Amino acid sequence: MFSGKPIKPTFKCYLPPVQTDVKKNIEPPIKKLDPKLLPGEIVVNEVNFVRKCISAESNQDDPWGKLICTNFKVSFIPQEAPSKQKSQLSHLLLGEHDIPLTCLEQVVTVNDTKGKKKVLGSNQKLKFNPTELILYCKDLRIIRFCFDEAGPESARKVCLAIAHYSHPADLQLLFGFEYQGRRYHESKGERVNGSTPRGGMQTPIFDRPSDWDREIKRTSASEWRVCSINESYAISPSLPEYIVVPVSLADQDLKQYSLYFTDRRIPLWCWNHPNGSALVRMACVVDPLQQRKIDQRIFTAITKSHPQRSEVIRSDLDKYLPNIQDIQSAFVKVRQICVLDPFEESEERWLSSIDNSRWLEYVRAFLKHSAEIVYYMEGKNVSVILQEEEDRDLNCVVSSLVQLMLDPHYRSLIGFQSLVQKEWVMAGHRFLDRCNHLKKNYKEESPLFMLFLDCVWQMMNQYPAAFEFTEAYLTVLSDSMWIPLFSTFLFSSPKQRTQHLMDFAKNKAIPQGEDQVVYFPPVWEWSQQFSIKDQTLFNNPMYVGKGAACVQNGEVKTFKRTKQKTYSSTLRGTAPLMRNGLKEGEDTLTRRGSLMSELKPEFSAVKDESPSERFFRDWFSRPADQQGLLIPLSMPSHLSLWKLFFLRWVPEACIPRGGPITAYHKLSQLVDEIEILQSKLRQYKGPSPGNTPLPSPSGPPSDQRRMYFKASSPDDPPTPPDFLTSSFPFTPMGNLCRRSVYGTPISKFLNGARIWLSTETLANDTV
Amino acid sequence: MEKQAGAADGAGPNRNPWGSPTNGSGAGDAGDSPTGSHVEWCKQLIAATISSQISGSVQPDFVNRDNKNLSALRYGAQVKMFQNQVPLLPGETINTTVKDVMYICPFSGLLNGTLTITDYKLYFTSVEKESHFVLDVNLGVISRLETISVPNQGENTKGLELVCKDMRSPRFAYKTDESQPDIVEVLNKHAFPLSHSLPLFAFLYKEQFPVDGWKVFDAAAEYRRQGLPNESWTISKINSTYELCDTYPSILVIPTNITDDDIKRVALFRAKHRIPVLSWIHPESQATIVRCSQPLVGPSDRRCKEDEHFLQIIMDANAQSHKLTIFDARQSSVAITNKAKDGGYESESFYSNVELNFLEIPNIHVMRESLRKMKDVVYPTIDEAHWHSAIDQTHWLEYIRLLLAGAAKIADKLESGKTSVVVHCSDGWDRTAQLTSLAMLMLDSYYRTLRGFQVLVEKEWISFGHKFSARVGHGDENHANSERSPLFIQFIDCVWQMSRQFPAAFEFNELFLITVLDHLYSCLFGTFLYNSEQERMAKEVQAKTVSLWSYINSQPEDFTNPFYVDYENHVLYPLVSSRHLELWTSYYARWNPRMRPQVPVHQTLKEMLILRAELQRRVEELQREASSHSLSSSSEHSPSPTHTTGTPLHTAV
Repeated sequence: MFSGKPIKPTFKCYLPPVQTDVKKNIEPPIKKLDPKLLPGEIVVNEVNFVRKCISAESNQDDPWGKLICTNFKVSFIPQEAPSKQKSQLSHLLLGEHDIPLTCLEQVVTVNDTKGKKKVLGSNQKLKFNPTELILYCKDLRIIRFCFDEAGPESARKVCLAIAHYSHPADLQLLFGFEYQGRRYHESKGERVNGSTPRGGMQTPIFDRPSDWDREIKRTSASEWRVCSINESYAISPSLPEYIVVPVSLADQDLKQYSLYFTDRRIPLWCWNHPNGSALVRMACVVDPLQQRKIDQRIFTAITKSHPQRSEVIRSDLDKYLPNIQDIQSAFVKVRQICVLDPFEESEERWLSSIDNSRWLEYVRAFLKHSAEIVYYMEGKNVSVILQEEEDRDLNCVVSSLVQLMLDPHYRSLIGFQSLVQKEWVMAGHRFLDRCNHLKKNYKEESPLFMLFLDCVWQMMNQYPAAFEFTEAYLTVLSDSMWIPLFSTFLFSSPKQRTQHLMDFAKNKAIPQGEDQVVYFPPVWEWSQQFSIKDQTLFNNPMYVGKGAACVQNGEVKTFKRTKQKTYSSTLRGTAPLMRNGLKEGEDTLTRRGSLMSELKPEFSAVKDESPSERFFRDWFSRPADQQGLLIPLSMPSHLSLWKLFFLRWVPEACIPRGGPITAYHKLSQLVDEIEILQSKLRQYKGPSPGNTPLPSPSGPPSDQRRMYFKASSPDDPPTPPDFLTSSFPFTPMGNLCRRSVYGTPISKFLNGARIWLSTETLANDTV
Repeated sequence: MEKQAGAADGAGPNRNPWGSPTNGSGAGDAGDSPTGSHVEWCKQLIAATISSQISGSVQPDFVNRDNKNLSALRYGAQVKMFQNQVPLLPGETINTTVKDVMYICPFSGLLNGTLTITDYKLYFTSVEKESHFVLDVNLGVISRLETISVPNQGENTKGLELVCKDMRSPRFAYKTDESQPDIVEVLNKHAFPLSHSLPLFAFLYKEQFPVDGWKVFDAAAEYRRQGLPNESWTISKINSTYELCDTYPSILVIPTNITDDDIKRVALFRAKHRIPVLSWIHPESQATIVRCSQPLVGPSDRRCKEDEHFLQIIMDANAQSHKLTIFDARQSSVAITNKAKDGGYESESFYSNVELNFLEIPNIHVMRESLRKMKDVVYPTIDEAHWHSAIDQTHWLEYIRLLLAGAAKIADKLESGKTSVVVHCSDGWDRTAQLTSLAMLMLDSYYRTLRGFQVLVEKEWISFGHKFSARVGHGDENHANSERSPLFIQFIDCVWQMSRQFPAAFEFNELFLITVLDHLYSCLFGTFLYNSEQERMAKEVQAKTVSLWSYINSQPEDFTNPFYVDYENHVLYPLVSSRHLELWTSYYARWNPRMRPQVPVHQTLKEMLILRAELQRRVEELQREASSHSLSSSSEHSPSPTHTTGTPLHTAV
């Protein structure tokens, strides 16, 4: 048992010992298949001679190997060393066939011959020997293993272990707590004390006053201050320790007001517009009798913080937007259509079924509502309060979208991460409950963060040069939610985070005063997951390239200026004609009034245009500055399904040698080439122009190059490499294997799965 | 919510002068400055895609005003090109100008202005609230004129709707006046010249282009490119006088081992005498795409020995396979019914080693109806709540899927199966043209270049007698004619779908495809006029009209995809799934200002290409400078750095 490894004293076993007691009743495989384990990772159960199904039609190419359940992941180790596939992002902590236990949505066992199937929960019995194991993953993969040649008892035990371990009884049992403790101690030597604060991480965490101060300065919110009344979570467990409030409100007032808010969440400053209007988020007032009074005081304070003393408007998100259950059920439906339903069956009325899921409708609703808020702040110069019952779900989505639209800073990689940190993690979004990491309360599960990422993708899709990062980054970020090794998505409130991390530090003998970002890093430390080279896939060449064009090089600026001149001189040539046009206009104006006035009421399409519609039309009638205010178009036709996220595992939907990545490839090469040229230019110019000890000009060193695809040499074929598919940097190979069980589409089976959780077999199977 | 209000007509070279083809050195054209190219690109795309119907009372259509006048000015320095502020094409004349006309814009309300009707276009200008508005509709695009009621305006106010072939229907209201000519009458005459014994405008158009588009396609040269003739196939002049088949081109590629007599017998056995001829030959396997019409089998299952032999020879010409696959584009049920009408399909028992496949594609009437439904979905208003379902209900994308699937099957048969294929439908000029040209586009990267695509269209569509005149109804007032059908639009849509899936594989861009479709209707160029090569010869089209390719090839950089890399030896199979097929909103829904396409990625890339070129120039300059400085001091020299990089530059910068 445990592959001969001794149980580490720190490992909390939450599986009854009897189940981990595997009898080695099968021959060891000819080849020794060793799992790749992380520090603190322990094999709990394993079975040999397992076939991983990679295609529904035939099993010829299916790899054989060992299936392992550890306290972190389900791992399949193929007999034959896999041919190194270039087509995949290689994860530093997870192998090609690994699935973290937290990523499991459902564990389904099937006995083909007996016609039985069962969704396995924690600590359950299984009265049949499974011939097949199907793992439905939260990242939409569907992975199938066949046990036709495996020892039936071992297979059964592995299945039970997987089911059991994927339902941890307690948050502290998530593998991150084991792993990061080990990692901290093992890498101690590498860390020089205090040399790089927070391990060199640039993303502000907003757990200290200085981060907020910087944000106040950056947005010139001079009438707002950092307030520390929630230090040690004295006021509210779901608020961060430091919050930003109007200067006119004293700590004492805030303490008093806090009594009237849900969860004592006093209003929270998010962001300031350059025009002085502020974005504030707030929970509901519990006591209706106090509501008016509290509202008035808060409103007055916010008004006082506005340089023009302009009014405050409130947007009650619960009234206008779908609730978390709606969002969850839309996601379940769209997932069903994309990955569960048989491919051919859903071809016919694809668009309608996407419509019916309502997922895009909800994405649109959030984008639209956020744009409305943008109108108030930008167009009407008023401060806005986002209000929601608890201020921990819809407010997170809307406040971050509003800021993404208004502030280009948040469209940089670091800016985006700080936005998530500020509006989600620190604002107390219940990641633990919404992700349902402990698989306890399905009612609380809702993919709000996923919805937010989809909204961001829609904006990115409409404004391809506006974001520093790519859709691959967003997808990888969504996947990271299901890897329990980072602190970002594990907790439901700042207080919970602090408490757990303090307990953790105590348990793991981590010295007091050590920075939690160092001993339990957030997901933003990407080097934990990916190599520097792979991280360049996060860089959007269009954004990087534009940056290169404007800021970096004096030469380029000159170039732009002169060209601009050429252009305006061209314009000048048209001046007389424009005048003529206007002259004619005046004539028309004098004649107006005859037919015009008579017809106008019946035909005018714009007569009841609202000021916000007018604002949007004005904005859309000007060329968009992708580095400025950005408003997404939100007609249904402007939204599309995020294919990389939803279809990346679907083999039938994968376009070989095609997809947007082929354009990305070409763009990356181009930007890389531009950067090489710029670097050369700098070298030529040198520190002392005039005397030139000629350097041998070459591009920037390869580890500093920002593009995944390097400029091609003349010998390279210009064609994008063969491994590029529309799923890149992911591969559908072996990651989505749906098959109907006895003529029942697996989707139908799954629909009712929750009801059958406690029954051994399906009703009709027992007949 | 519109962006950059449009004014240009979205077609016609006056939008975008071919101007200075030598502007690579920056001869004043905005095209090569970063800002300039950005704006220019925007303008083009917007002019092509965004409505002329927007703006008006709302927002000054600033950019387009520039664009319009800029291009018009550049177009002809001669002032005579302008009459009463109406820009005119060479050869264009004004017929009538009517003042105080009301344009009933479905998006921004009413606009009062002046309507000018020339022999090529309808030109409406209005100036209100400092905003200059132009609506420019070429007359060729008009399908029919409808009178509409204008409520409560008394007897002398009339309403007019121009139902257009390109998915829009602008409406006007005007007061009738004894002193002014009747708008409807004038429009009727010039929108439907053939019904009024007038020439099509293409015959009046006098533009001179530096490039002659009629030289793009030379059938013999194209067959030579394919490696023909060879021992099995010959380039035949048997149809040089169009006697064998009046809808086929004069040059045909047929098997070597067949006598003229046999061919004539085969012609009698094939509908409209459209015998099997070679369209394309695989450079390695020698497998071929052969096209023809249906065999005249009839209810009694007639046989034709020569026809059977003919197909046998075609199969034998390809040593790699002992099979021949026939793709009948039709629905099998229809093919069977066709027997009763003396048509039919090849019986597998009479033709040895032949495999027959039906591609189950509905006929031209179904396609027409589908596009008609699409117009209701996209114009003038869009039902936000049911947008996707409404698209589904038109079945348009389903037919696109069927077509692409059929073409992919054909391409795969050749590429993987190394088997020759015969493609036909009923007459072999509609679905057959769609399928063979799409399959060729998948198989042969040449057709994915700007030039090659023109050859493809000239060859598979124009020369092989797709009945453009009948399907489009050029200059003909009989709008209800059941011969009309959007088959060519469907083909271009399929090409667009492929270019979406392979954004780097096509040398031409979306603007090119839209421009081609706009001139399918405009009657400005001779390219798409008439039904067959024979007719075009008789009308002396090449001598008397200008080719669309003259216009395109005089300014290729505007129609070039900056992402393009040559997938030289790659067969491209589009993924034929609803998941990857999209409604081409920037074509079908372009008249709705709220459907503004997203910021085109191309614009950023073009800027970067320019930046790179500029940097390259600077590096070279400095290099020269440095080497002249150090020439004396150092004999040792690093290799020329400019050659270390070489992503091919496909755009003229």
